[in-house]
Amino acid sequence: MSLFSTWRELRQKGIMGINERNADFVLRYNQRHLYPLVDDKILTKKKAIDNGIHVPPMYGIVDSEKQIGNFRQLIQDHRDFVIKPAQGAGGDGIMVIADQFEGYYRTTGGRLISAEDIEFHLSGVLSGIYSLGGHRDRALIEYRVIPDPIFSAISFEGVPDIRIIVLKGYPVLAMLRLPTRQSGGKANLHQGAIGVGVDLATGITLDGTWLNKKIQTHPDTTNPVRGVQLPYWEGFMSLATRCYELTGLGYIGVDMVLDKDLGPLMLELNARPGLNIQIANDTGLAARCRQVEAEIERLEQKGIKRAAASKRQKFCQTRFANPECAALAAQRAEEARLLEEQERKQREAEMPIVDAGVKVQVKTPPDGKG
Amino acid sequence: MKGVKLHVRVLAIVLMLIGAASTAWQIFALNIPVSADTEEPVWVIDTRISFTARPKNPIKVQMYLPPSWSKFITLDESFVARNYGVNIDDLEHNRTAVWSARRADGQQQLFYRLMLTQRSNTRFTNEEPGPQFRESPDLQGVEKVAVEALLKPIREHSADIETFIREAIKLINNTDNDNARLLLRNDYSQINKSRVLELLLSSAHIPVEQVHTVRLASGVSQSPELWMRSYNGQRWLYFNPETGSFGMPKDRIVWWTGSEPMVKVDGGHHLKVEINSTQQTVNSITLAQSIQEARDGNSWALSMYSLPLQSQQTFEIILMIPIGVMLILVLRNIIGIETLGTFTPVLIGLAFRETQVLWGIIMFSSISALGLGLRSYLEHLHLQLLSRLSVVLTFVVIVMALISVLGHQLGLDRGLSIALFPMVILTMSIERLSIVWEERGGLHSMKVGFGTLVAATLSHLMMSYSPWIYFVFTFPGILLVFMAFMLALGHYRGYRFSELLRFKALIKDGN
Repeated sequence: MSLFSTWRELRQKGIMGINERNADFVLRYNQRHLYPLVDDKILTKKKAIDNGIHVPPMYGIVDSEKQIGNFRQLIQDHRDFVIKPAQGAGGDGIMVIADQFEGYYRTTGGRLISAEDIEFHLSGVLSGIYSLGGHRDRALIEYRVIPDPIFSAISFEGVPDIRIIVLKGYPVLAMLRLPTRQSGGKANLHQGAIGVGVDLATGITLDGTWLNKKIQTHPDTTNPVRGVQLPYWEGFMSLATRCYELTGLGYIGVDMVLDKDLGPLMLELNARPGLNIQIANDTGLAARCRQVEAEIERLEQKGIKRAAASKRQKFCQTRFANPECAALAAQRAEEARLLEEQERKQREAEMPIVDAGVKVQVKTPPDGKG
Repeated sequence: MKGVKLHVRVLAIVLMLIGAASTAWQIFALNIPVSADTEEPVWVIDTRISFTARPKNPIKVQMYLPPSWSKFITLDESFVARNYGVNIDDLEHNRTAVWSARRADGQQQLFYRLMLTQRSNTRFTNEEPGPQFRESPDLQGVEKVAVEALLKPIREHSADIETFIREAIKLINNTDNDNARLLLRNDYSQINKSRVLELLLSSAHIPVEQVHTVRLASGVSQSPELWMRSYNGQRWLYFNPETGSFGMPKDRIVWWTGSEPMVKVDGGHHLKVEINSTQQTVNSITLAQSIQEARDGNSWALSMYSLPLQSQQTFEIILMIPIGVMLILVLRNIIGIETLGTFTPVLIGLAFRETQVLWGIIMFSSISALGLGLRSYLEHLHLQLLSRLSVVLTFVVIVMALISVLGHQLGLDRGLSIALFPMVILTMSIERLSIVWEERGGLHSMKVGFGTLVAATLSHLMMSYSPWIYFVFTFPGILLVFMAFMLALGHYRGYRFSELLRFKALIKDGN
């Protein structure tokens, strides 16, 4: 295939290139002075809390050498917690403590470390070894997210997260990121995690992408990634949609996780979200963004400056719905209804209840280390 | 957004037009050569005046010089004489140099050297008009009869001044013509012939003037040849009284006009004048420069060349940086090669000037590899950024010193050139490379490092390509054209070449 025809076909599909993203979206919709809001996780979190967006609860901030010694007071009520550099990038400098044992702390890897080790880590964070520019940083101590076991079937280890691209408050494209053995438990596509497209309307997964290729199964578990119903999908969508009001940035990637107890939580925002989400969804980002821009223009002509978050979400969910997923969702709903009916009949027949076994909607009890 | 696009487009076009226009002006209007290698002939005419001075007498030597309206451009002229003062006077059509000395003894030698280009002097072609009418001289007796007898057939056979002169020359040179012989008094010397010709023409009210010319020919000693000229109302007509040929040949230069001798000496005798001309070739740009100087004014035309030599050498490098930067722009935004930092490859490319490409690549790779090793070791020590960077930089300096010492002992002087490798750039490259390594893996950092080296090599080759250096340095207006291109690229929305490969999966399944 000639490069020219590749070019043309990509254009026809509305695939967004880096140049287009930078010039037409990032530079155009994201004002520079708003960047600190997404670059500093503490600022993002505070802002999110003020706006009623669910985030992992914050236990405390360490912003001076003096406070390092006090970190034990910050976590005295919690057995497990996470230490993050406020301006870290790419997951560097994140320390996850899963448990405590006789004054020692157990990391997710099972290693026992002392309080001094943690204090040393904190002082490293403060001196800026994890922040990109190398300038002084703050450390954030927060709730440890325990991923909902729904993902255990299609995920290897680590915490899978959900990325939704939001243009001017309209969620345009969603992806589930699953860590792999290669990515070392990090949900970062560059490091070898897989991305799985998600239907905006139903929250049912599509095919995936791994190292720029298209895949149907998880490389470690070999389970098919397609057709999984993500729980609380409406919650994720509304969370992402409302993040526009939070920052004022017009083109962001919202990263969220599903905690087994707290439900959908917003983790962080990204002002330059990557483009591989297009391969995961087999859809052009530019094509969808253009539809959203047309809608915004249409509303502006009608005199509506900014549509309500629920309306924006509804627009995207109807406009970008995947018919296959809709059919699947309808079929599953029908199955569930039949099952329920059957159960009711069984109950009516005063039979003892056994586990219904609906794979996708039932939460299994946590088993400690995930 | 649309307004901005238009703005950029207009700005880019305006910049491009200004840049292209200034370059075109330099090339076409000022004849500045496009390539540094073009050479042009120049003529060096040496005039040697020798005479014996009368003791205890003041000496004054007057010599005619080629006039300023000459069709050749004077590049340089110099007067060499010991113990003489020189003054140059502009007369009506002529220029003279006057050497003077209070007293001198014995054999004297004066030199005058003139350097000319054969380029046509377009600026000075506006000729001064000459007289068109002349009172006829008062002739008596036989001469009057002879002149009238000669003029009659000439008038009949001619249509205008040009043909009139032609006929007159033909008749004078005709030895069978008794009237002509009478006027010439049987003396067919050139000076006499031109005297008679002048007499004839002035009787017909046609003013003529003697012009003395020198031929531009290599290696022969020559004396000025006599030509004549007459103004016909539009231009000067030059003709040779000897042969009757019209029009000054291209290789002749007018030295002076009038009937006086070329050199006059007061207070000396045994005057001898020698004229020698030789051809030399001169680099065109040097020539253009000299012409600029000769014309004074227009100092903007070759502005970079008017800088001190040291600054010129610096600017030869600096002016090439935009080319390297433009290359990086293309490599990154159109091809999609990933490089360390933005302009790091340009700086590394500049460093290659000293080390040569191959050595530069070898040294860059080896120092980076060693530095990366150190950096990953330091990672375990949890050092702060600044002290970590300082340690790596010092390490880089030590490695460079070691390479130099080792190279020197092995007799490889190339090793010494590394001293000019920019250490800070290397250190920052190592730092960035290791961050890339940690964040995106070893394979990716190899890719980035390789991309950086490719970009650095390419930019070095482009920045040190001497025809381009010459061109940019001579026509700095081209930088505005580059700027226009960069502006236009700022609104480039197309795919990068690498993205066509990256998103290939999207197409295979689409079909």
